[in-house]
Amino acid sequence: MTAAALSYRPARDSALIAGRNLRVLRKNPGRMIYPLVQPLVLLVMFVSVFGNLAVTAHAAGASGTYRQFLIPGIIIENAALTAPTTGLALLRDASSGLADRFRSLPMSRAAVLAGRLASDAVVFAVQALLLLAVARLLGFHVQHGPAGVAAITGVTVAFALSVAVLSAWLALLINDPETAERVLFFPAIALAFISSAFAPVADLAGWMQPIARANPVTAAAAVIRSLASGGPIGVPLLELGCWTAALILVPGFLAARSWNAARLSGNAICGL
Amino acid sequence: MSDVTPAIEVCAVRKAFGQVRALEGVDLTVTAGTLTALLGPNGAGKTTLVRIIATLARADDGRVRVFGYDTAKEPGQVRERIGLTGQFAGLDDALSGMDNLILIGRLAGLGRGSARSRATELGTALGLTDAIDRTVRTYSGGMRRRLDLAASLMHRPDLLVLDEPTTGLDPASRQQLWAILTELKAAGTTMLLTTQYLEEADRFADIVHVLDHGKIIASGSPEQLKERAGGAGASLDDAFLALTRDARKAAS
Repeated sequence: MTAAALSYRPARDSALIAGRNLRVLRKNPGRMIYPLVQPLVLLVMFVSVFGNLAVTAHAAGASGTYRQFLIPGIIIENAALTAPTTGLALLRDASSGLADRFRSLPMSRAAVLAGRLASDAVVFAVQALLLLAVARLLGFHVQHGPAGVAAITGVTVAFALSVAVLSAWLALLINDPETAERVLFFPAIALAFISSAFAPVADLAGWMQPIARANPVTAAAAVIRSLASGGPIGVPLLELGCWTAALILVPGFLAARSWNAARLSGNAICGL
Repeated sequence: MSDVTPAIEVCAVRKAFGQVRALEGVDLTVTAGTLTALLGPNGAGKTTLVRIIATLARADDGRVRVFGYDTAKEPGQVRERIGLTGQFAGLDDALSGMDNLILIGRLAGLGRGSARSRATELGTALGLTDAIDRTVRTYSGGMRRRLDLAASLMHRPDLLVLDEPTTGLDPASRQQLWAILTELKAAGTTMLLTTQYLEEADRFADIVHVLDHGKIIASGSPEQLKERAGGAGASLDDAFLALTRDARKAAS
């Protein structure tokens, strides 16, 4: 194999794996209920139940409605709750005979993880766009029209990918699909609630406030609020950028290393 | 590369999982074009050795070469030359047989057109034409095994590693799979096989290695092993039991 072929191989193999993952979704529409339908239900429920609550002026931002404050939080909460599916899907592959098949092929070893992230990025983007479309019907306004929608979608996908990479590493570390299914969603729920997703940081319980200030969900929700309603964006965008880079690089490296580790490849000890 | 390069050379390979010593200095050579069977009781180390040869695990010590390439230092070159049919089917249940074969072929380096035509060719050869567009989760055990074998053959490997390929299959499916493997052998494909069915090794293998407690305790043709263990009238089952019993006595 030539050097040129080798250098192009990771991108080609990642695209093939991403295509496979999207084909599985297309052929099994039931698998789209969690990432695409449930978030819409949550959005409608949250807005219907809490959307008309009064809220402090500093929380509502320029538009002055709680709905305008709440919906960016719901978008990010849904991204955080969907992202662990990346880890579960990766672990499903790692625990099946398919992992040995991939590892025994002359393909890029990074492709399974990179392809999973690429296909899930498509799911996260579709989820964000669907949420924004329904949110529009519920009275949510985005400044700067399609450019604002594109920017919010981009921020949501970047945030979701960083949580997805973290979930991939944790899932491979846990190395048991049933345990991972029970464990992975807990940090996502905690991340979403100990943040400014649903209430301003100043209105949270005292012990929560330092955690909420440092939480990437708070930064991501603040960026989306600023993109939708106006307001300062520099500091939250910088915070989100730092979080995203750190969560993608460090757990990404660890997840790739775990995927390649022989101990993940089936019953190595039981099947001596 | 010279024609006399063995398909597999295993030299003084050791592997442990914590306190469990799976392989304790295994030496083994597989000549190109032969079907070699690796037999041993459960826990003997067969799967560990197969995984090291297939680049899925690393030996703690020793060296393994496949067609002259070191499995630890040159795994990419090794993977281009091997096909693996493991104990668990390496297939995506949610996709059709054709989608699986095309994906695996393309990941092995084939172009889209070549992968499709190779998948069609293998689907026909392995009797899967009618089922090839169906989702794999609807396949019977025998069909899954044949599709798994087809997946291993997509990139025309020189060495096929078969880890208990017929376990759990009914007699008709086993017979069907063996008819295919016999054809592959006649076409010059080298095969390394582990199996629980000694009669399969007796009937199809050129050379049998018996592995017990992480060591090769006997090697030879099925006839040689039978002769060594019990002489005329002995079956390979008799030979296997006698050899493993003798090895345990010697060890104790």
